[in-house]
Amino acid sequence: MIPSDHFTRFYNEVFKYIETLGQHELDLYWLEISKNQERHILDLIQTKGFEGMHEYWSVIKDEENCELDLMVDENHLELQMHVCPSLTKAMDNDAEPMKRYCDHCAGWIGPIMDKTGYHLVYDMISRTEPRCVMKIFKDPALAREAEKSAQLLANWPGKQAV
Amino acid sequence: MITEPLPPMRYQEDGNVHLDFHGAVNTTIDFIVARYGVGVLHEIFARVGKDVYRDLHQHLADNDPNEMARHWKHFFDREGADYDIAVGDDEIVLTVRRCTAYHHVAKIAPSVSPHFCDQTTKTNEAIAEGTPFAITTEITGPGACRQVIRRRA
Repeated sequence: MIPSDHFTRFYNEVFKYIETLGQHELDLYWLEISKNQERHILDLIQTKGFEGMHEYWSVIKDEENCELDLMVDENHLELQMHVCPSLTKAMDNDAEPMKRYCDHCAGWIGPIMDKTGYHLVYDMISRTEPRCVMKIFKDPALAREAEKSAQLLANWPGKQAV
Repeated sequence: MITEPLPPMRYQEDGNVHLDFHGAVNTTIDFIVARYGVGVLHEIFARVGKDVYRDLHQHLADNDPNEMARHWKHFFDREGADYDIAVGDDEIVLTVRRCTAYHHVAKIAPSVSPHFCDQTTKTNEAIAEGTPFAITTEITGPGACRQVIRRRA
């Protein structure tokens, strides 16, 4: 058993291998992970909207030992990740970290938001610092406005301009 | 006799565990086998064993199999598995009666990949490769196995 504590280091090895095959293959993998994650979050989004997202990421905060703040109002959900355990472990690693490790997060979240009619604005800030800011809007105009202040905007498979 | 406390393990962990990661491992295994073949899956697990677990490999290379047993105890305890470890003169045997990873995946995923336990078999082999020890893994049932560290003949 690869312990769940070490999943991110396994994930990192998978990313490195698939990246050698091209971005298209990496996109297909992230879409597969996105489908897997639908089991955990899709129903929450479809039945409770932003509150359902808040419920999902509250569990993640607890179970994955994240240092993060979550905020919800009528227009959006905002997650401020202060210390990301996933990138922290990928970097604290006797194997080499994948250079674009952070991209996987928007890689699975973005397709779910597209599917459910929400608009993701994912600011990775830096790929070598374990922090980021994720904002999710219902109104595309608000998402477009939020994108302007992002430092390093993430992309995902099938992303369309809001 | 004063015994020096052991130094922390390379990847020692505390805090909570997120068992749903095992579901993502299962999805990943199925994706890789279907798209690239089982050989690629095994190559990736070999990299995990050689590169990610370089420290465990080094302990075996330095004639210290106990670090591997310590690793097993730490992480099987964290995941609440039903297991025991028997340390003998010639071998260390891990008997897993109920693997948390396997049974969590069986609960949350449509099916457990037929290659799910390759993560154990192939990673173990790679950790031990090139050392005086071999680690063999025998799957004894669904979510059950016997892993043995034994000095190579």
